[in-house]
Parts: sequence; structure tokens; C-alpha cells
Amino acid sequence: MRDRPVVPRLRQRSPVHGLRRRGLGPLEVLAQSVSGAAPSAAMAATPAIVAVSAGGATVWSFVAATVLALLIAGCIARFTRRMAAPGGLYTLTAKGLSPGAAFACGVALLVGYGMLAAAALVGGATYLQALVLRLGGTGSVVLPVVAVVVVGLAAGGLALRGVRLSARVVLLAELVSITLMLAIFVLLLAAPLPGPDAAQPGPGLGGVAAGVLPALAAFIGFEVATSLGAEARRPFRSVPRAVTATAVVSGLLCVFAAQTQVVGFAAAPGGLAGQNAPVAVLATARGWPWVAPLLDLGLTMSFFACVLATVNGIARVLFSLGRDGVAPRGFGRTHPRFATPHVAIGVVAPVLVVVLAVALLAGAPLGGTLTFLLTVGTGGFLVAYLLVCLAAPVFLRRIGELTWPAVAATAVIVPILVAVLVAFVARSGGTPVVVVLAALAVAGACWFGWLRLRRPDRIAGIGVYDETVADDVLGADVVGAGVPGGGDGPGTGGPGTGGPGTDGPGTGGSRGPDARPDRAA
Amino acid sequence: MTSPRDPLPLSGRQPRAVRSALAVLEEVVAAGPGVTAKEISAALRLPQATTYRLLNLLVGEEYLVRLPDLKGFALGRRAARLALPVTVAPPTAARAVVDHLRGLVRWGVHLAWLGAGQVTLVDPDPDHPPSDAALLARYPQASALGRLLLAEQPDWRALVRDLRVFTEYTVSTPAALTAALDRVAADGLARQCGELRADRGCIAVGVRAPGDGRLVAGLALSGPAQRVAEPNPELVALLREHADRLAPLLA
Repeated sequence: MRDRPVVPRLRQRSPVHGLRRRGLGPLEVLAQSVSGAAPSAAMAATPAIVAVSAGGATVWSFVAATVLALLIAGCIARFTRRMAAPGGLYTLTAKGLSPGAAFACGVALLVGYGMLAAAALVGGATYLQALVLRLGGTGSVVLPVVAVVVVGLAAGGLALRGVRLSARVVLLAELVSITLMLAIFVLLLAAPLPGPDAAQPGPGLGGVAAGVLPALAAFIGFEVATSLGAEARRPFRSVPRAVTATAVVSGLLCVFAAQTQVVGFAAAPGGLAGQNAPVAVLATARGWPWVAPLLDLGLTMSFFACVLATVNGIARVLFSLGRDGVAPRGFGRTHPRFATPHVAIGVVAPVLVVVLAVALLAGAPLGGTLTFLLTVGTGGFLVAYLLVCLAAPVFLRRIGELTWPAVAATAVIVPILVAVLVAFVARSGGTPVVVVLAALAVAGACWFGWLRLRRPDRIAGIGVYDETVADDVLGADVVGAGVPGGGDGPGTGGPGTGGPGTDGPGTGGSRGPDARPDRAA
Repeated sequence: MTSPRDPLPLSGRQPRAVRSALAVLEEVVAAGPGVTAKEISAALRLPQATTYRLLNLLVGEEYLVRLPDLKGFALGRRAARLALPVTVAPPTAARAVVDHLRGLVRWGVHLAWLGAGQVTLVDPDPDHPPSDAALLARYPQASALGRLLLAEQPDWRALVRDLRVFTEYTVSTPAALTAALDRVAADGLARQCGELRADRGCIAVGVRAPGDGRLVAGLALSGPAQRVAEPNPELVALLREHADRLAPLLA
């Protein structure tokens, strides 16, 4: 044992000051993650895609994907039980791997959230249009464009207005849509159609494995609660629980949905795989035309909740990149009253809306755009998951808390994720997806190269998170004064005092330690 | 703020886990801030994996915090609730300031320590006895002195047990309390009218350390509820002036 512990100097305020610290309840944190994963949309759409590879064993592909998601959640939880970071997986990776890997994770995460947000916007618009058509409206390109603009800007506005408000909206929308979906699926399962079971060709183990990639795509976004770390009330408890619970909930819902659809199409030649809108077909076959509009409504709400959750996520990743000084510092500013990263949100939401609106007006088909965006996004998420899983045991070793289950989990998950990633690239070989991903990767590499050349000090110190500040520690005056200049541990980043990032107007009206100097007078 | 859960009976190895958790807390105090998980595990002869789990649990509950290097541990703010605040009688010079104010107003004048995360009355007005000290300590949200303390917290839920209703005026919803505390933070003045006892009210201002502005104590005036509800600018000015005079004597 050491005789005198070395105490790192405590800051007076968190490096991520300006966000409303410790305000969100566990339910609001959970809602964020569930919406990010958008299980209702996954329930309706992914089983048919998985069935192309896995056929009658679709359910097993989903079971395998759920196990994978749980392993990833476990790796993420090794960080989130110990630190709270608005930068999500990007910041977590920075605590385990080199700054270069963390930067790659940041870019991958920006691609992932950006594409997922765009995909959810298009998805919402698609089903809204379907709903209008079903209710007797007329279809045109105007409606989806208007929907994208209105919902995109509304999501930006809600995210700007405050994380609590947007979390509540998301919770409500997601509850309604999951309830609708569950009711529809229970009805479908309870009333099976009579008919002989067409013998389905056994997909074999290879088929099940090939089905895991699209099944895993149903989970992307499930980790978005990590970005609320600094803003959750008991983050070390609520964030890891939210991410794990989302993996479980999404997994169960998808397995259930897959089973319903596989059974429903057992009699059809080709089974589930040939279906474009399987749930609506199943309902129509039973003479329930009213199911289709309800389904569209549920999907629209789920997609729109997903937009809000991912905009919150991407804004906080940008915010962290800004505070780290690797993205423009302006992204690191927060709104004085709403305590949200308003600059990041103000850039992301309009950019998404404008790009999508222009693409749709130029004649991009809704369905094709949705698939394309989701596929590119999945690529980003796979890279981010791979990096964070690699980082987990390194991080634990760095802080001296390595255990063998952490090593074992990484040893299992990393080869699988690499295989999935290879399968992903192979499957999208020759399509625009690979071209876009390669272009994004090159852009990221150039950005990193420029930073290495011009801002090597900032690159070395990336990974700001919500550190323990003097106010959190009992008897902090003693701790702070005890060892002046006590070693800045590896990776605490930044100069000892005066947090990185401009402080902007961010400290004005909020209660708490930040506001204290203003009130001393 | 503990929510009522179904009380699980302790079973199996749980009593040992509870003992170990308490031992971990004690070890962090004994070894001092900055002690690492490995050191705690070695000192207590606990298996490492168990120690890490207990530490993560205690950090999750905010009894412990991780220091910025993520390796070292220290006691968290919440741990203050495990100990009774030590009350020190205010110095004679400070009591003289309080007595001076008592001579100027016809209201009750009370002084309380707020530094230890609890309202501790140290100089209650002998002529206008305040509410029960234990009541003030337990329900800080219903008193003006307590609100000074809560407005200072990053999250008031850390110090509020339940939003008990005493009178028809008592603030009883989290949203209303948050709004009230925002006003306290903005004005530097806390007020309650008939929330603890229907006929009495209170205004209070903080006594802050001259150096770092840390809240050390609160000075309160208590009187009839309808009089407290008025703006009383000259009374508030008098109260602030005396609080400023107390600052160098108490901090």
C-alpha cells in the first residue's frame, strides 16, 4: 500500500459545464435509448429482410443478434458505470484506445447518428404518406418533403428547448407506437390462418449467421442513452441499465415479431422472405383492413421519436468534439437558458432537412433512400461498436480494475463484429453504400491528418467527460488543497484548471456550482 | 427521496455484501481520497471482482465518487447524510450581530448553519420560538432556510425525503418546488408563507463565505404569514445588511 495517495486536482466545474447536470430520471434516459433503436419500426420491417438469408430460422438470427447486442451493451456498461460522457461511444473509446481510434469512433458515430436520423425522417415521411393514401388522400412528392421539413425542424426545436422536454415527447411517442405494434402482433398470432405448412428449406447455420447482420441493424441506436450521461440523475446506474434494457426489450420484441411473421407466412410459397409489407398482408388476409392505418400511425410515431433521440445524440457528440477542440469550438457552446448544445443542434437539424428535402424533390424514391441511409448508418455503428468493445478491457487495465469476464466478452465479441463488418462490406460490394462509406472514411482521415499537423496537443487530450468536480466531493477543500498540482492522470486531458472550451454565455441562469460566483456579490 | 419499494427480506449472502459495502466506505475514509480499487481490495482482503462491483454500486448511489483520473475514489456529497452535522456555537461577535437585528425588528430572528447539508438552528430567537428544529432539518423544502440550502444543490432531490404537505399552502409538487428554488437562486432571497404553519411565514437570506461565496449559514426573519407575503423592501435590505456583516464572522 502507498502511504500517501496521489489526488488529482479537482476542477471547480465540469469540463462539459453548460449542460443541465443530473436532471433526467431513469425512465427518460431509457426512453431515449428505446427510441434510438426504434423497435416498432424494426418489428415491422426487419424480419422480412432477415428471412431472405435465414428463411424459417429467422427467429434464431434475431436471438443471436440479441445476444450480440447484450455483449456490446456489457462492454459499454464497463465505461458507463464509471464515467458519464455526453460524447457517448466516442469519449468512451478515447479512455481506452489511442486518440486516433477515438477520433475514428467519433466520425463513425457522426455517420451512424446522422444517417439514422435521416433514415428515420424518411421512414416517418414514408409511412405518413402511406397513412394519408390509405385514408383516401392523394399522393405527391410534396407531402413527404413537407413532413421531412416540419418533423426535422420540430425535432431540432424540441432538442433545443431542453433535453427533459424532448425525452418526455420521445417517451410518449414510443409508448404509443410499441403498444400499437404489440396489440397488432398479438392479434395476428392469436388468429392463425388455416392452411397447409409449405415445407421451408432449412437455411442451415450459414443462413442463420448471414441473417445476423440485418438483424443486428434492428438494434442500432440502442446506445444513444450514453450521450445523456452528464444529464441523468444517477448516471452510473441509469445509463448502463437503459442500454442493457433496450437491448433486451428490442430483442424480445423483434423475436416475437419475427415468430409471428414466420408463422403467418409458413403457408406462403417462399415464406416471409418474398414479402414487401408483411404485416399489412397478414392483416388483410384476415379481413382486417383497419390494421394497416394503425400500423402506419405506429411506425410514423416510432420513426419520429427516433429522429428526436438521434438528433439529441449527434448534437452531443458534436458538442464533445467541439469541447475537445477537434471540431469548431462553437459546437461546444450551450444555450444559457435551455442548457442544450444549441449551436450543434442548430447546424445538424437544418442540414439534415435541407439535404433530404433537396434529394426527395430531385426524385429520390422514398423506399430506396430509406434502405440506403440505414445501410450506411449501420456501417458507422458497426465500426463504433467494434472500437468501444476493443477499448473496454484496455480502459479497465488503465484504471487497474481489469477482470477476466471483461477480457472474455471482448475476445468473443470482437471477432464476431469483425466478421459482421466483413460480411457487411462484402454484401454491399459495388453499391453506392461502399463508395459513400469510403468517401466518408477518407474525409475523416483527412480531418484527422490536418488535426495531427496543426493541433497535435488537442488530439492528444481528446475525451472530455463529466468529471467529478470539487462540489461533488465531501470535504473537497481538503482534497483540492491537499496535493497542489497532484498528477493529472493519464487521459484526464486538458490543462489543469479552467476547463477546455469557451465558456460562452453558458453559465448564466442555471442553479448549481456554475452559477455561484455570479451570486457571491 | 426514497421511493417505497417492496421490502425484500435479506437472504443468503446479502448480509455479508452489506457488511462489505460498509467496510469499503470505511476504508475510503481511512485511506483518504485517491485510494484505488486494488488498494481497497488488498486492505480488506476482498476478492477484486467483488470490490469492483461494490465500488461501482457505491459510485452509482453517489456515496463515493471517482476522482478525475477514474482510478481513485473519494467520499461523495451524499455520504454527508450518514453523519450528524457537527454544530458549533456561533462566536459571540456573530450573536451580537443577530441580537442587533432583533433590536431593530419586531419579527423573530433566527440563525442556522447550512454548510453541512442540513438546516441546523444555532441561534433561534428566544422571544419568537421557531418551528421544531428536527422538523426544519427533515423537511428543508417547506422552510425559507431550507430552501436556501436546496437552491444551492445541483439537484435538490438529493436532500428532500418526501414532499410532505403541512398546510394548504405547502409546495407539494416537484415542478413547483423547482420553480420556487429557481426564484431563490435568482433573488438570493427565500420566502415561505404559511407552508409549515398556516399563520406563520419566513424570509431568509444566505450568509456566504467572503472568499469563495460558499453558503455557510442562513439568517431568517419569521412573522405573520400575510406580512411575509408583502415585498418588505426595507426589511429585506436590513436582513441582507446583517447577513453581510455575519459573513466574515461565520466563514
